[in-house]
Amino acid sequence: MNKFMMVLASCCLAASALASEVKLDTVKVGIDKPTVGRGVEAMMTDCHSCHSMKYIKYRDLLSLGVDKKKVDEWRGDQPMDAALMAQMPEADAMAAYGSAPPDLSLMAKAREGGANYVYSYLLGYYTTPDGTTHNHIFPATKMPDILGMSNAKEAAERTAIQGKARDIVSYLVWASDPHAQERQSLGYYVMGYLFVLTLMLYFVKNQIWAKLK
Amino acid sequence: MPHRIINWIDQRFPLTSFVKHELTGYPTPRNLSYWWNFGFLAGFVLMLQVATGIFLAMHYKADIAMSFDSIQHIMRDVNYGWLLRYLHSTGASAFFFVIFIHMARTLYYGSYRAPRELLWWTGQGLLLLLMGTAFMGYLLPWGQMSFWGATVITNLFRATPFIGDQVVIWLRGDYTVGDATLTRFFALHYLFPFLIIGAVIVHLVALHTVKSSNPSGINLQDKDNIPFHPYFTIKDLYGLGLFLMLYSVFVFFMPDSLIEPANNIPANPMVTPNHIVPEWYFLPFYAILRSVPNMVGGVVAMGVSVLIFAFMPYLDRSRIPGGAHYRPMFRGLFYFFAIDMGVLGYIGYIPPTEQSILIGQVATFIYFTLFLILPFLSKFEERWLMKRGLTPEIEALIASEAKEISEKSKKRSKR
Repeated sequence: MNKFMMVLASCCLAASALASEVKLDTVKVGIDKPTVGRGVEAMMTDCHSCHSMKYIKYRDLLSLGVDKKKVDEWRGDQPMDAALMAQMPEADAMAAYGSAPPDLSLMAKAREGGANYVYSYLLGYYTTPDGTTHNHIFPATKMPDILGMSNAKEAAERTAIQGKARDIVSYLVWASDPHAQERQSLGYYVMGYLFVLTLMLYFVKNQIWAKLK
Repeated sequence: MPHRIINWIDQRFPLTSFVKHELTGYPTPRNLSYWWNFGFLAGFVLMLQVATGIFLAMHYKADIAMSFDSIQHIMRDVNYGWLLRYLHSTGASAFFFVIFIHMARTLYYGSYRAPRELLWWTGQGLLLLLMGTAFMGYLLPWGQMSFWGATVITNLFRATPFIGDQVVIWLRGDYTVGDATLTRFFALHYLFPFLIIGAVIVHLVALHTVKSSNPSGINLQDKDNIPFHPYFTIKDLYGLGLFLMLYSVFVFFMPDSLIEPANNIPANPMVTPNHIVPEWYFLPFYAILRSVPNMVGGVVAMGVSVLIFAFMPYLDRSRIPGGAHYRPMFRGLFYFFAIDMGVLGYIGYIPPTEQSILIGQVATFIYFTLFLILPFLSKFEERWLMKRGLTPEIEALIASEAKEISEKSKKRSKR
């Protein structure tokens, strides 16, 4: 029976080790406010014109430590509780690019590979000898190379773009699950509590069973 | 004063005698291992799912235009809504994890054998109810995998003879999975847990009639039984603590590992996901479905693969007690079956290739073969063990069981 558990566990590991077909770059997502804040700014300048984030409100950006002046500038005459909708109407984006830009609220969770996928995708642009730009992570993409990775030749420039992609991905990871940090910090208390409780139950159990002859 | 209140109640309701009969005086074999904790754990997870589910239903909207958004509303805006939702979504996996071990224990120790056939069959009914509940619950977030999973599975009912197409429309309430499907799945997903609770009571009544099996495989003498309370209440609580720690690791640190990424995309009937996978607990059965080239055959094979467990009391013809413990061949069969389940699960998870389909077919063949050779193997093994000479320990067990049975039948004939 114990062997059975081993079999079960190894099967679970084997199943989770299955990665997607394309090799993804790994990114260490930042959860600190400066990184996520920079991600918000990059997002608002580079992505917001086409992409919405309908589950995020302007007020949520304030809680990330973004300067209120900037938030006011972005939202214009919209209320603080308005969702971050794209500036360009969806029909116009359809006409310009041939497909509707997806909402990004859950993007960091909605692809196999999660944050690594988005990071690799943003940096996955390259130029072919005939001068056209492609993406090796998502070849069918309609999005232009917004961060300019395909034109970046110098190492410093590429590093800067990688940093920017990391900021954006960090913000997207936060946006996909704003309570993640709260969840984890609560999780440590829960685990600690359960550990002490289980240990005490173990001792009580031994004490009760010791009465048996 | 409390004494007088209890007296007052006892004159009107059998409270004290009930507690004594089912708890403080309920005889339980003292040699039960920790594998016997999982029935209690299943009951606990059921209560957890009902409790979290009721609160989730207060914030959820069963409407295709709103359900995806309402889940995000729960995750983002409802106080501790993320906790409720992750407890519930992780709870579904925990339920199957616990039930699969509970079933594996029954198979390993031969707990399905006489006189526990009805106990085993009520458990089989509970498994079917649980599968139905989980399947319908999975549609509710209205993500891509929800929609396409429900589409694929409801479509299987086309295999019904003569009225297949009508049955599918009747189940969906529409020609395709849509708003009518979502609302009825929600209604039934709320109803089924209460049917499960009813079936659990039947399961417990059956259990308390035949009493728990134990690792030795035979009914014990009175001196080897101890009262359920306090010995097993505390043992179950300790096991619960261990279970909750494992469960909390998933809820608090990796809740999304049990949710398919594609289910974070709203359902879109125009776009089929690259590959449609069910939740992990359905994977072996899904692999069996895909292994049969013909659709009707696949559906039948999948149905039989779940229902075949019910025949275990008749497929296993050995009189050697103790399940796999004293039976090397049956033990080998058990582990082989467990590995085969693992292989099927893996094949169900990966996108089908020519090679994986072949492996799946071999594993499906092995799955059914193991059940079908059991009647012969169990009898052969019994004779082989008898010829080799049983250990005095097992001889004594068989003798005491035979004595008990003859005594019981004498009692019955006297009546």
